Amino acid sequence: MAPQTPAVVMDNGTGYTKLGFAGNDSPSFVFPTAIATKGPAAGAGGSGSGRPAVGQKPSFLTGGAGPGGHLSAKRGTEDLDFFIGDEALGAAAGPGYGLHYPIRHGQIENWDQMERFWSNSIFKYLRVEPEDHYFLLTEPPLNPPENRENTAEIMFESFNCAGLYIAVQAVLALAASWTSSKVQDRSLTGTVIDSGEGVTHVIPVAEGYVIGSSIKSIPIAGRDITYFVQSLLRDRGEPDSSLKTAERIKEEFCYVCPDIVKEFARFDREADDRFKHYEVQQPGGRSVTVDVGYERFLAPEIFFNPEIYSSDFLTPLPTIVDTVIQTSPIDVRRGLYKNIVLSGGSTLYKDFGRRLQRDIRHLVDARIKASEARAGNQAKSGGLDVQVITHRRQRHGPWFGGSLLGQTPEFRSYCHTKAEYDEIGPSIVRRFALLGGPGST
Amino acid sequence: MPAYHSVFLDEPNQQIIGNFALLPLRTKTRGPAQQLQQLTDTTELDIEPSHTAYDPLDEILSLFRANTFFRNFEIKGPADRVLIYGILFVSEALSKIRPGMSRRDAEKNVMNVALDNNFAIPGDAAFPLNQAFEPPRDRNEAEVLRQYIMQMRQELAARLLNRVYADGSGQPSKWWLSFQKRKFMGKQL
Repeated sequence: MAPQTPAVVMDNGTGYTKLGFAGNDSPSFVFPTAIATKGPAAGAGGSGSGRPAVGQKPSFLTGGAGPGGHLSAKRGTEDLDFFIGDEALGAAAGPGYGLHYPIRHGQIENWDQMERFWSNSIFKYLRVEPEDHYFLLTEPPLNPPENRENTAEIMFESFNCAGLYIAVQAVLALAASWTSSKVQDRSLTGTVIDSGEGVTHVIPVAEGYVIGSSIKSIPIAGRDITYFVQSLLRDRGEPDSSLKTAERIKEEFCYVCPDIVKEFARFDREADDRFKHYEVQQPGGRSVTVDVGYERFLAPEIFFNPEIYSSDFLTPLPTIVDTVIQTSPIDVRRGLYKNIVLSGGSTLYKDFGRRLQRDIRHLVDARIKASEARAGNQAKSGGLDVQVITHRRQRHGPWFGGSLLGQTPEFRSYCHTKAEYDEIGPSIVRRFALLGGPGST
Repeated sequence: MPAYHSVFLDEPNQQIIGNFALLPLRTKTRGPAQQLQQLTDTTELDIEPSHTAYDPLDEILSLFRANTFFRNFEIKGPADRVLIYGILFVSEALSKIRPGMSRRDAEKNVMNVALDNNFAIPGDAAFPLNQAFEPPRDRNEAEVLRQYIMQMRQELAARLLNRVYADGSGQPSKWWLSFQKRKFMGKQL
């Protein structure tokens, strides 16, 4: 076994999977976490309802393991007839294949499909021999230990990989922020704001450990911004208001403004500069021009003023972040305020970090002032440093953090090896030594 | 950050009827409002709130687009009620303009609404916000309030048209018309 092979870093998210090798700058592959198998699509349900063709075999063929058992026991040739990623989307568009998303809300729901997804990831995309590589996988915060064990079983028994480390995404996102010049001490204490397509999480991390009781999630993320852009386009009667157009406008034109009234006035004054046009190629070969206006700054505004978009969720993101930190243990709060790290595609808007920092600082300063007044202005506070870290690796933050930590010389000593797994069994992965913790880098 | 409030909340010596403030206006139409001088050094499109002649109607038009996105609004004083009424009236006036309408036709439609003497004032059964607005105490006060609101309506309508037809193309701005369906606080006049 070659000792110098780079570790494989796999970050499987609800929406997208990021694959690559430790030490690299960006993932080698990014594709949807989707699998297309023979048979009908898995309706809207989760794991149970949409079992693939495999599950219809009589039970004696599954080796008595039941429908939840491992695929290795019941693998026939038809099991090899599947696609993952973008190919899966293509195959599902045609007849005969159904599309499935094995991960929901960050957690693996269908292990059969996930195993096949991984096998294709390793053999067809990365084209590596798992025996020769250590693997770094990611998990969401509060992932049950049983899920880790299942993962280890598949990784060691089906793929026979050399070693395995499972890291929490939020911790890796913190590590990814070390590339920013604003970060001086490479600590693993900070608040991670992870906003993807489906949901936004605010996760406090103290010295590499997630403070599970204080995590908050917000039902506003990339998809909602897209819908909001779409509704603004429709209000105006633009010639094309498909979701795809809305998404492209969101990605290309949107930014965060300091104040929406001033921004409206600015659009009045600098109309030529601010209003943009977006050319859409429609299926028939026609192309239409969509005007892009106020949605440029209104769309990301729903993080800071959810009221303008939703009627049932009204708490702004800065307030949520403040609450999360205030409910964390008192001795880490200073560190959490000082290191607020952004991660995920929906945090990429220009000036997102700046606005967030300003709003959180206002909240904190107001509270300090109030408490000083209550103390009769006798005691002065030294102030509290609020800092939001914007960095260049935000988009694939957890993957990049994994790549960073996976290339360190000590990485392998933190992994559990195949030999250790054979000795102790799946329960070994319930605990991992903290990678990148104090004294390791 | 919730919806925007009026900068006139702290204005000293407000004349108040019910709990609606009769703030000075920059208008030539006749009525009970105290008159502010006409603009000489700036235009109504980019007047700043710090200007001495800045009136609630400037504020209404500049906050209109932002505030119509909000369904909740905490009323902090009599000046906020002026703001609310103004925004709701702008919504109504805007709904009379159709895409592609010439300025002359739009003016006719909007002025029809603005000049109509048959509108509800706080206290009338048809007024949509009676929970938040107190009725005037007597007939005299009601008449003054009606005239003041009339002044607001006419001046607002004129200034709104200036904004909607600001680009000089003779067509109403689609950016303004896109706010026709939005309802501030979920209400309309």
